[in-house]
Amino acid sequence: MMHSLGIAFDLLFGSPIILFSIAGLIWGIIGGSLPGISASITMALLLPFTYGMAPVQAIVMLACTYIGAEYGGSIPAILIRTPGTNSAAATVIDGYEMKKQGRAGEALGISLWSGVIGSLFGLVMLVALTEPLSWVALAFKPTSYFALGILGLSVIASMTNGSLLKGLAAAVVGLMISTIGTDPISGVTRFTFGSPELLGGVEPVLIMIGIFAVSELMMQSGSRDIGGLREQVKVRLPSLNMMNRLKRSQFIGCLLGTFEGLTPGGGGSIAAFLSYNEARRWSKEPEKFGKGSEEGVAAPETANNTVASTALIPLLSFGIPSSNSTAVLLGGLLIHGLLPGPRLFEQNADVVVGLYLGSFIATLAQIVVGILLLPVCVWLVNRPRAYLAGFILALILSGIYTLNTSLADLGIALGMGLVGYLMRRAGYPFLPLILGVVLGHMVESSYRRSLLLSGGDHSIFLEDPIAVGLLLASAVFVTLSLVREFRDARNAKLKDAHA
Amino acid sequence: MRHLAIATAVATSLSAWSASGAAAQTPVDYPHKVVTLVTHSSPGGGSDVFLREMAKHLPKYIKATFIIENVQGGSGARAISRLATAPADGSVFYATTPTYIYTSLLSKTQHGYKDVEPLVNFFTDSEVIYTRVDGPYKTLKDVIDKAQSSRGRWGAANPASLERQAAEQLKKAAGVSPAVVSHEGGGDLMINVLNGTLDIGIGEIPELRPQLEAGKIRLLATFDAKRMEAFPNVPTVKESGYAIALDKFRGLAGPKGLPPAITRIWDEAVPKVLADPEYQKVYRTESLVANFIPHDQYQGFVQNFGTVTEAFLRENGVLK
Amino acid sequence: MTPRFSDNLRNPSGKTSSMTDRTAPKDLAGGLAVLAIAILYYLFIGDIAESSLADDVGAGGLPRILAFVLAGFGVVLVARAIIEGALARAPKPIVATAPSRDDDPIAPLPRALGFLGFGAAYVVLVPIIGYLPAIALLIGAIALFEGAAANWKTALIAAGGAVGYWAIFVKLLGVRQPSGWFF
Repeated sequence: MMHSLGIAFDLLFGSPIILFSIAGLIWGIIGGSLPGISASITMALLLPFTYGMAPVQAIVMLACTYIGAEYGGSIPAILIRTPGTNSAAATVIDGYEMKKQGRAGEALGISLWSGVIGSLFGLVMLVALTEPLSWVALAFKPTSYFALGILGLSVIASMTNGSLLKGLAAAVVGLMISTIGTDPISGVTRFTFGSPELLGGVEPVLIMIGIFAVSELMMQSGSRDIGGLREQVKVRLPSLNMMNRLKRSQFIGCLLGTFEGLTPGGGGSIAAFLSYNEARRWSKEPEKFGKGSEEGVAAPETANNTVASTALIPLLSFGIPSSNSTAVLLGGLLIHGLLPGPRLFEQNADVVVGLYLGSFIATLAQIVVGILLLPVCVWLVNRPRAYLAGFILALILSGIYTLNTSLADLGIALGMGLVGYLMRRAGYPFLPLILGVVLGHMVESSYRRSLLLSGGDHSIFLEDPIAVGLLLASAVFVTLSLVREFRDARNAKLKDAHA
Repeated sequence: MRHLAIATAVATSLSAWSASGAAAQTPVDYPHKVVTLVTHSSPGGGSDVFLREMAKHLPKYIKATFIIENVQGGSGARAISRLATAPADGSVFYATTPTYIYTSLLSKTQHGYKDVEPLVNFFTDSEVIYTRVDGPYKTLKDVIDKAQSSRGRWGAANPASLERQAAEQLKKAAGVSPAVVSHEGGGDLMINVLNGTLDIGIGEIPELRPQLEAGKIRLLATFDAKRMEAFPNVPTVKESGYAIALDKFRGLAGPKGLPPAITRIWDEAVPKVLADPEYQKVYRTESLVANFIPHDQYQGFVQNFGTVTEAFLRENGVLK
Repeated sequence: MTPRFSDNLRNPSGKTSSMTDRTAPKDLAGGLAVLAIAILYYLFIGDIAESSLADDVGAGGLPRILAFVLAGFGVVLVARAIIEGALARAPKPIVATAPSRDDDPIAPLPRALGFLGFGAAYVVLVPIIGYLPAIALLIGAIALFEGAAANWKTALIAAGGAVGYWAIFVKLLGVRQPSGWFF
């Protein structure tokens, strides 16, 4: 403990960690406030810049971007009825109502305050749970890692957007991409076409930037300006009395945010909608929901900020990204050669402590930065899209080049942009593909290692209690998701029939 | 910047003059003011650290400023290309490790290790066989015995690497057939040795240091030709009866056709750099073994390493 | 209330896609593409060397399984699209989606490809004309493509943007951007 404190002290005063955390926060709020630029895209755009930074600076900056984007997303949600990020979609309902009643500043203040509460709660959970969990990982054998990878892939079942088959196909394509490069067991090359650039495989970073950011730009090409933010708005933080009234809904947001952050496949948007519903159920004034309820803004905004911290728990302890944003953060860790798990806490304690510390700073700084940055966000959202698109593409292309100073990387990212665009048009979800890319290597290599150790006997998986537990968990998870998926589909059909 | 460099040069020569002792050194003149040292490793990676440390101590013996250029990507192939297309005048060199041999053999790179000229060697990294302290193995013999009586489980850090090659050679020499499992680098391997999944692992000292100091890892043998200075009680694999010795070399290479005037300067300067007490302090803590190989021998050494490696990869079907 | 992106995990509003009227041909194309990827991937598996350092599964083991599984998915997707296409012959009334201003922007393929083309042109041009002019051209060309007026303001913004990026990347971050014949 004293050791950690020492590291924290060093980081705080010895290196400009504060700068990186505030810079990440600013970047996150701005990116999050631009409709079309989700938290994951904002983070993906930042990835190339983190390359030249020290690992701790890079990770802090990315995590703080995530925190900032969750608040930033609520700005256009409240002001122009357009969520800046997915997880701000629930905020639109009561936030925009409040704005119509001339209480936009108040809604923004509640969003900001709830974000701080959610982040703080999530941070406590992060610090308390991550390291103990990671020690479990020390006992992980190849069999356990295989089961863990399967658990990660089982997330796919919950995000297929109505078509399980398309989700699975996307995942297989992701797995195929993960087989490019040097074979993990024998060292022969696969699908490299003799190119040394591909010996180490396709960098997940390029795939993420292409699929998230480039394809979004392509999708938006030709669409009209976002605009519509004409009035002057000033953030009004809630009064003590109001803070007291928001407690209940914020508590619900914290709980559901923690739960969704920990579960693979969870994420800010689900947590936000669930907590909106629960807050209404438990509210003293449920009738106000949908008509400008303060609690209706507080609950989802608390939840999505809680997720921004708690989603780091499975990422840091096991290396399982449970959402787009944490997948990008994993990309950031991998760039710096940091492998999540117990060794991260032992050998890169500075990164972990720095991450906690940076997130804490960003959480507190959010109030001030959030207020100061509002005019900038409003200005940016009002810029003509014609210019924004070019500037964002220029940023992507310049940024990727800094990774390896290779023009081939630009080609890969643009190509993945086309893939992402076609997937969107044909209704294929992205995350299965990304998960396939980042988990494929782990699943394949640990499966083959296990069989190598047992001499080809599959019963080795049953001898490892961790593997058995994780495989059972995946089975339960897949079953539940499928049941929910089919129920949703049936309900939708019924609704269609009635319409 | 240039003023600063000149000032330092003046300062060092002044102090050399005032010391007037035999030990004092005047840096040898060099035809280039700036020498670029290229590496394929990222800032902070193995070869990068090696070069940056070296660049601090070289100017005491060679009158030039050494700057590091990171040409990453392609497992070293891009760095080799950068070097092969640079002028062969002694202004650009590349930090060599066995990686560049493996990369040029495994992929159809435009420029391979045969397209560049090894300059001199500096170091050898110690490769060791290790096991967990609370495990059943006390000596290398215990491990081999286990592999004879039942299915042995050995680990190497990476596929198609020097460590993997060492494991295969040891298998052959001892006439056993354990499973040799490749991992995602040294850290991943170590966890599997510590939790008992594997009998032994083959790795390098720097990766093991935290666990060694914590007393959780026992070294069984080293693949070095001689016993390690820092661990004199650890026998070599050769002593244990298997004629295998590894040279995980670290040196420099230049473009083909380096002028003899240049190579002569390096041949003379490098042994002095390696004997520099300040530098020694730095590299000994990293368990690097100074292993100076002059220019005329180094070319044969690297060629030989390449031939042996290629034969190994072909024999095992990794290369067609 | 539809969120603007299709990359979210689950449609949080619980609404499944209500564009059944137009999905069948798209599903057919998607299914065929999946099938094509599977076949193409399978063809390159033959290039993987057999190594005695490999395990029983081998370097080609997983790829072979993946190719077959994906091909299977492709066949089912194509079949389903054809059946659904036949069933949907009878025109269904288009279900009105709630507030229409929240809908995702969907650029048609030629337009999206055009946009991507500017990125591709940048990759080709930058080693010839250098970073600064290439970025200025990129920003300017996209602005025009996206409907900005061709006037001095657009030119100024493009030039200013390029200088800004150059200052950030080359001067501030010290990253070598590609240099061309002139810059």
